[in-house]
Amino acid sequence: MTGLGPTGATKPGRGRGRLVAVGVALLLAWGGVGYRLVVVQGVQAATFSDHGEGQRVQRETLAADRGTIFDRDGRELAVTVDSVTVYANPLEIDDPATVARLLAPLIGEPPGEILTRLAADSTFVYVARQLERDQAQRVKEALLPGIYFLDEPKRAYPLGSLTAHVVGFVQPDDNRGLEGLELQYDTPLAGTPGELVVERDPQGRTIPHGDYSIVPAEPGSDLVLTIKTEIQFAATEALQRGIDRTGAVSGTVVVLQPETGEVLAMVTLPGYDPNDRSGIDSSLYRNRAVTDLFEPGSTQKLVTIAAALESGLVDPWTAFDIPEAIEIEDTRFEDFTVHPDQLTVTEIVAYSSNLGTILVGELLGARLMHEHMYGFGEGRATGVDFPGEAGGILSRPEDWCPSTCVAGTSIGYHVAVTPLQMAQVYATVANDGVWVQPHLVREIVDGHGAKMPVIAHERQVVSAETAGRVRLMLEAVVDLGTGGSASVIGYRVGGKTGTTQQFDVETGEYSEEKVVASFIGMAPINDPKVVVAVVLDSPLEDASGGSGAAPIFAEVMEAALHQLGVPPDGS
Amino acid sequence: MTAPARSVPILVPRAGLRVVVESDRRRVPIGGWILVASVLFAAFLGMIWSRTALDHNAFDIQEIEYQIEIEEARYWELRLEAARLQDPARITTLAEEMGMVYPDQVRTIVVSGVGGPGADAEDRWAELKGLLSASP
Repeated sequence: MTGLGPTGATKPGRGRGRLVAVGVALLLAWGGVGYRLVVVQGVQAATFSDHGEGQRVQRETLAADRGTIFDRDGRELAVTVDSVTVYANPLEIDDPATVARLLAPLIGEPPGEILTRLAADSTFVYVARQLERDQAQRVKEALLPGIYFLDEPKRAYPLGSLTAHVVGFVQPDDNRGLEGLELQYDTPLAGTPGELVVERDPQGRTIPHGDYSIVPAEPGSDLVLTIKTEIQFAATEALQRGIDRTGAVSGTVVVLQPETGEVLAMVTLPGYDPNDRSGIDSSLYRNRAVTDLFEPGSTQKLVTIAAALESGLVDPWTAFDIPEAIEIEDTRFEDFTVHPDQLTVTEIVAYSSNLGTILVGELLGARLMHEHMYGFGEGRATGVDFPGEAGGILSRPEDWCPSTCVAGTSIGYHVAVTPLQMAQVYATVANDGVWVQPHLVREIVDGHGAKMPVIAHERQVVSAETAGRVRLMLEAVVDLGTGGSASVIGYRVGGKTGTTQQFDVETGEYSEEKVVASFIGMAPINDPKVVVAVVLDSPLEDASGGSGAAPIFAEVMEAALHQLGVPPDGS
Repeated sequence: MTAPARSVPILVPRAGLRVVVESDRRRVPIGGWILVASVLFAAFLGMIWSRTALDHNAFDIQEIEYQIEIEEARYWELRLEAARLQDPARITTLAEEMGMVYPDQVRTIVVSGVGGPGADAEDRWAELKGLLSASP
């Protein structure tokens, strides 16, 4: 046996001491472990448990899919697609100039602008927002340092500027509506976000059998609009040609279905592309058909004549001796069309006689005229489902000036309306005297497919007989009067021209040069299916309703009748 | 000198007791225990396998869900593309490039009794036209 000294024996006390030392060391070690065990598993168990849970369990907001906007035929006008946003941590980029140079062709931006962002003293800068997947993939494959990627939903408008003023657009950051129907119907379109509670491993994978609960997101509702894309396109093209021909500053076209109040087309030019709004003047966002006011001028004569017919003060063949002019205080009213000295009420409309209409208006008086104007919807918003609608200007009859107000109002001055309001007046006549609330959304389809049709309010404004008589007078305007350019081959068309001097705020007088040229009409006159209103702002050539706006009307009306399959009624 | 002899105790079974020889039947049944242990082990392995399979399936499901998301995204991208292709402005441009034009003249064929105005409206219009023509 080794270890035995020459004496042949060890000292028993030393061996026992080592044993005791080892034992104590082990005891202390185990004691330490035990103490820590008690602390971890007992005293601080809840703290550690929460800490671990906080690392594993993640609460994620599940974004609701924003609803799609369709036209009346199911064509997509606004769609949400997945996109990839590229961002960078500039502090991780050692050579920003090289990274910017490599990124430039991939994202289509000048290297200088990218470099400016990459040189920022920040841990997060956007490099490119909402790229399409293919484009983002090319950036990913470049394996650039400090460049990261983030999935983001992106709103896309496949028809671009064609329906921009109606559909509007969303804010890119959060996809909330900013303009148009995107704003008006933001709540139903947006849906309700959900929540996912899930345990994930360090690689971000879901831990099976871990905590898992989900409150699914409620997808946004889809909107089916009343807009018919083909008519919208035809109206846009016709209006653009009209603006090019006349040199007008801007123009508006509204196409209505009088029986239902559905807006088939609503165009404002100049337009903009909602997919790329960089550098766009925000004034272009305005849907002038709903927000801008103009004095209706001669198109207002329909209201005056309809009111007089409805009140029994005149009939279509009541004749008036038309003077050379009517002077009221400092204001002189004249006719701008050549016509006989005596005109029937029908001829007053056909020749667009200011003087004849003033005579009819004087018969009506302020109160009766106001009553019918208000009945037709002037001076109050139509309630169309569009944000920022202007209500128009129509003073109470007791506030009308005793001198020129009745005369001026009867021929469309002292009152301001939107193109939609005025189109609605004509739609009322087209619909046998029944005013139907205009609307842009036909039905809302929720995330489960349930359809909620939009119900339009109605009210009878004038009798069907009066409306029928007025329609025939409007046909006379196109057949015999100032609206000859509005005729459509194969159809009986009725309408009214309007040429209004614009009020110059700077001089405080009506401008001799700036006018609003308009034409509003309907077809087929016997049973109108379509009403079209055309308004041109400040045309330089063909600066009248008959020569400037009526040809545009004819183009739009023909396209609308053909698109809707309305059979010709002979002309 | 002779020492007194000491008596040696003899082991004799006490009365009422008997010697029993151990038999094979009393031995521990080792085969049974092995069987039980094997079954338990197999069950344990089975449980581990099933747990692993479940985990594997869970990851597969997660991957499939991710693929579904990708396909859904692709679906909407294709719908967007289809909508862009249906843009009337694009179609018009292509049609013009192909030499298509709007007709110069439109011929309307009116079929008797289809879409024509009612007699009542005709009469009223004839009346009004008569009045208009009678004007000075």
